[in-house]
Amino acid sequence: MKGFDQSVSVSLAADIAWVPLVQSVVEKWAPVCGLDDSKTMMLTVAAEEIVVHLARMAPGTQVRFRLEPGGWHVRVEFSFKADASDLWAMNLVTKTDTQEEIDHLGLLVASRAVDGFTLGFEGDTLHLGLRKDRAYPVVTPGLIQPVETRGELTIVRDPEPELIKVACVKALGLYPSDAVPQAFFTPGKVVDMVGQKDLEIAVATDRSGALAGMICWQAPSEQGISFSGPYIFTTDGQAGDLLTKHLINTVARTRAMGLFSESATTSLPTEDFESLGHLDLIQRDGKKSEQGVWYRHLREDMGASVWAHRAYAEFLEAAYHRQILMRDLKIIEGQGERLPERSVFSVQLRPDAGKATLFPMVTGGDAAECIARYVEMLHREKIFNIFIRIDLAHGWQAAMGKAIMDNGFVPKLVLPYGGKSDILVFQHA
Amino acid sequence: MHNFDYTQLVPSYIQAFEAYYPSKPDPELMRLYGVDHLHRLNNNENALGPPPEVAQVVEGFTPMAVPVYPNGDCFDLRQSLAERFDKDPEQFLVGNGSCEVIASVIKAFCEKGDNIITADKTFAVYEWVAEFSGFEARLIPLKDNGFDPQAMLDAMDRHTKILFVCNPNNPTGTYWDRSTMKGFLDAVDNRAVVVIDEAYCEYVENDDFPDGMALVEQYPNVVTFRTFSKMYALASLRIGYLCANAEMVGVIRRTHIVYSVNTLAQRAAAAALTNDGSFIRATREMVREAKALLCPLFDELGLTHVCGQGNYLMVKVPVSDTLMYRKLMTQGIMVRTMTGFRFPNWIRISLVQQPVMEEFCRVFRPVMEEIQGR
Repeated sequence: MKGFDQSVSVSLAADIAWVPLVQSVVEKWAPVCGLDDSKTMMLTVAAEEIVVHLARMAPGTQVRFRLEPGGWHVRVEFSFKADASDLWAMNLVTKTDTQEEIDHLGLLVASRAVDGFTLGFEGDTLHLGLRKDRAYPVVTPGLIQPVETRGELTIVRDPEPELIKVACVKALGLYPSDAVPQAFFTPGKVVDMVGQKDLEIAVATDRSGALAGMICWQAPSEQGISFSGPYIFTTDGQAGDLLTKHLINTVARTRAMGLFSESATTSLPTEDFESLGHLDLIQRDGKKSEQGVWYRHLREDMGASVWAHRAYAEFLEAAYHRQILMRDLKIIEGQGERLPERSVFSVQLRPDAGKATLFPMVTGGDAAECIARYVEMLHREKIFNIFIRIDLAHGWQAAMGKAIMDNGFVPKLVLPYGGKSDILVFQHA
Repeated sequence: MHNFDYTQLVPSYIQAFEAYYPSKPDPELMRLYGVDHLHRLNNNENALGPPPEVAQVVEGFTPMAVPVYPNGDCFDLRQSLAERFDKDPEQFLVGNGSCEVIASVIKAFCEKGDNIITADKTFAVYEWVAEFSGFEARLIPLKDNGFDPQAMLDAMDRHTKILFVCNPNNPTGTYWDRSTMKGFLDAVDNRAVVVIDEAYCEYVENDDFPDGMALVEQYPNVVTFRTFSKMYALASLRIGYLCANAEMVGVIRRTHIVYSVNTLAQRAAAAALTNDGSFIRATREMVREAKALLCPLFDELGLTHVCGQGNYLMVKVPVSDTLMYRKLMTQGIMVRTMTGFRFPNWIRISLVQQPVMEEFCRVFRPVMEEIQGR
């Protein structure tokens, strides 16, 4: 069946009467795509709650929902015309104190039942995507000693799954958990992500076939590629340069404009990259560390225009000047226009690293208050490395600058072409 | 009515292919980088400009010639080429730059399942045309910065239709001498077409450089490419050509777009051919002087450089090539970044007149000192 489009699309009216159908389709389809019973049930609940919510808030409106297999996950996308800020209860910080909040409880349930959600707009149509990941065994990293390299190193093209899994375990054994992608804890998931081309991996072996190192990368946007590594499994560290050069040569002729590090190790040959700055991290044990962020432009820069708020325009100008990136800053001026009432954020959590990153989905009048609630909740969960990433291609995201900075965040660095345009990363100070 | 979903109609090899975006026009780049001048040292253009004979043609081109279609297959120019190289006009096919004849040759010989062979670090258009036409491009790593004949032969199979050899190679400037070329052609043994791209051949002064025009007569499977864009400085007119035996050209013609070469380009090219003595000598002298200026600078700064044939050289810089590009752009110097050529951290510099090369040196030295001192 591989290679065929196995997605399922259904078009219906937002009406309680259709809920059993939605439940049934998700229940029957998700297991075929690899979800176990428990995860199928959670995705079914989430889908059901979305339809119930729409039936209540926008009765009769047309809803298209599409189920897409993704190898390591399944995705349900709802497309409908509605006010995006009505989805405020998707925020993880939604409370159930008031009647209004209780009325929206279903959305909170939906957002907590899935592993991630996205909101996108196409004209006046809103696309709400829910992602549920398959279950994979989690490995516990053991202590691994680096070995000596025997003979010349080579890159293994299209490494087989067993090699990928071993490489993940080695990386976990040799590096702190916050220096490796979370997916490495579930090597089977990594194999499936590679199979879906949602993640790419290169491994280096020595003449005896022993693993010498690995590097992985993915494309968070059309123009940007992020990488983690290189992870070195030998005592001499020769593989770092080889893997990095391989990565650069592989992505050099893609549509990507920029390559930046998500988790760079000390084995990265930094002369091939430009420093974008660093993030300040607090480890679980309270120790402080810095995570350098490295960048490489893959083409000749042709300049760009970005949106900016006065609150951080000076920071941007300095960053662009330092990085010699030609940008026209379009300053956002609020003209008293009406904003959506409520904001929506999605959150990427790394509890093991005490890290959370917020991504704005809808900017509403309550942005500052909403961010404050997130910070409070995350601190309660002992998560102190809190970031917000905004895409400067979108005026509505750039406009959040003041609300973000009023909550104690400071602009830390710019990821050129990290999204549709440059991404500005804020860190909670 | 169904929604039109064009993505369903796009072949997988097009979906996987990445479009090439050329640089913005000079005024826009100057505005962005805040400079009042820009020296383009990125495209290996001949900064001396075309021979004076071409200038006369350009100046004499009247508006009344504009509404009339050009000759569809460059009849007069092919006569001139035949006369210049002592061949039959039917042995020539002229295109809108040599990129067009690359496409024509691939279309003429390749079908589903076929492959072409070339180097991994060479002029990218062979690879691009093959890939966006749905054919495999087998890319053989360079050996000592040159094409590796044995590895290319080893990569051949029964589906190999064309081997592209860029001689001298862009961007390394290396070349196969006569003996290497003949040995390769003998080993190919007429099993596939061999394209010898001689875009920069007029810059080579060494006696052992093989003449593709002569090889066409000795090997029926050889197609030689040449261009008027480089030495003859007609880049903006876009005109190049191929030469092979007349029967093979007859086949390639079937896939070639007629009327693609404009009248001014045809006339200018014919005029350029009448001056390949003093003009070429002057250009070669300019390139020699530029090399004499740049190579010692790079040696002094301890930078590895590759300076072979052609009006360009490459230098490895101790930062990413794209950062070096931006630093030089802020000083009004535009070079070619080489990451896309699979030479990360190298830049390629076109070799032009002394004053511009001197300005390059003045700009490059402090930029390097800043980098090395950081």
